[in-house]
Amino acid sequence: MIRIGNASGFYGDRLSAVREQLEGGHLDVLTGDYLAELTMLILGRDRMKDSALGYAKTFLRQMEDCLGLALDKGVKIVVNAGGLNPEGLARKLGELNPGAKVGYVTGDDLKARFPEALTANAYLGAWEIAECLNQGAQVVVTGRVTDASLVVGPAAAHFGWARDDWDKLAGATVAGHVLECGTQASGGNYSFFTEIDATRPGFPIAEIDEDGSCLITKHDGTGGAVTTDTVTAQLLYEIGAPEYLGPDVTTHFDTIKLDAHERGVRISGTKGSPPPDTVKVCLNTLGGFKNATTFVLTGLDVEAKARLVKRQLHEAIGDEGLTWTLARTDHQDADTEERASALLHVTIKTADPKRAKGFSRAAIELALASYPGFHVTAPPSDGTPFGVYKAAYVNRDEVSAKAVLL
Amino acid sequence: MRKPLGTIVGARSGDKGGDANIGVWTRTPEAYEWLDSFLTTEKLKELLPEAGQVTRYELPNLKALNFVLHGLLGEGVASSTRFDPQAKALGEWLRSREVEIPEALL
Repeated sequence: MIRIGNASGFYGDRLSAVREQLEGGHLDVLTGDYLAELTMLILGRDRMKDSALGYAKTFLRQMEDCLGLALDKGVKIVVNAGGLNPEGLARKLGELNPGAKVGYVTGDDLKARFPEALTANAYLGAWEIAECLNQGAQVVVTGRVTDASLVVGPAAAHFGWARDDWDKLAGATVAGHVLECGTQASGGNYSFFTEIDATRPGFPIAEIDEDGSCLITKHDGTGGAVTTDTVTAQLLYEIGAPEYLGPDVTTHFDTIKLDAHERGVRISGTKGSPPPDTVKVCLNTLGGFKNATTFVLTGLDVEAKARLVKRQLHEAIGDEGLTWTLARTDHQDADTEERASALLHVTIKTADPKRAKGFSRAAIELALASYPGFHVTAPPSDGTPFGVYKAAYVNRDEVSAKAVLL
Repeated sequence: MRKPLGTIVGARSGDKGGDANIGVWTRTPEAYEWLDSFLTTEKLKELLPEAGQVTRYELPNLKALNFVLHGLLGEGVASSTRFDPQAKALGEWLRSREVEIPEALL
């Protein structure tokens, strides 16, 4: 059995989770997911400002605090915090602790193939992570790998699985999918939260067996709950067809079997089959500039007030790229001002940064010249660039992933 | 009996690029049997009129259904002008819709 924990479900998750997982009980490996589609865009913009950046900076802070502790306890760390610059992050970790054996996975960057994109990254799999660990890495940082690979890689290395051990790889993929969003598996964001203590859920752990089955659990004394319901909720998160495609295996979600266990939930029965011939690529391009404001419409004539301010803003800057929604949060004859108020949201998307900035100016110029009770919920802003996410698919042989030890 | 769907159904929703998904699950085989026949694609669109093209998948082993709402989020989270651009609360919206639930399941 190998005991794999998770300490992060996104870039911005609980900073103290690494320490909580290391101090809360025994683990063999601690993993963390820092990358979402949106995160790649944020990191892409970091990298535009400074080519030495492009990784998840919060992970570095966590390692400043906890790398020594992890090494002392013999817990290996496997994270995708490398983002667009796994080598850069690996070198930072090497400086932080020159005694640590740090490996990184590279080869996901396909910007040369998609020059029009701000970021273009193939979803790599588990085998390069496994190779780093087999070569003795104590810390492995990757760029864009599938979230589940962070768990599959260490399990495959530990048990010496073959690349066609489909059922085992599929079982570990399910464990990885359950863990990849942190506390969403252990009582966070859970429909029946009133039935458990959801104040501060503990981060989840998978105890994976040689056959790929596992027990989902968490450290003793932590909050939240691991039940068949909390695990089911996470299994259903961000999935499509029951055939869950990955770079190493296709996992059949309609074969998963869940059983309640005194320490959590047993997962077994999962079937796997060969992966597709193509690999998914996450593409982010700059779509233009975005700005938004929210007008508060209080009391009488809400619809007419909305029509007036719409007409005024259209006259000032034109209606191209504007999207309006009126949320009727107001109540008739209300006993609080807030309950008497509706919210009129307007968003602009435009290729012209000056127009995005001018939008706020135009909205605020209405302050003494519009509907009675005019006010907005936030001060004007200059607007921000926005990305457009697209998935592309390339043949497997167009991607050459590599495991590197510093 | 007319009750919110969420009385007996859990849900979790999220985004995949411009698509959203809502996984819904039940806690007993009887409730799944009812949900499977009740919550058709057409019924889902009736309960969530903002949904466009919808694909439904069955996961009886999890007593669950998964719905993919194609194109709901436009070009993805960073560019979407939609309220709740990552579709995080779609599932809770669905759970709040009142439907006729057999009394034996309540």
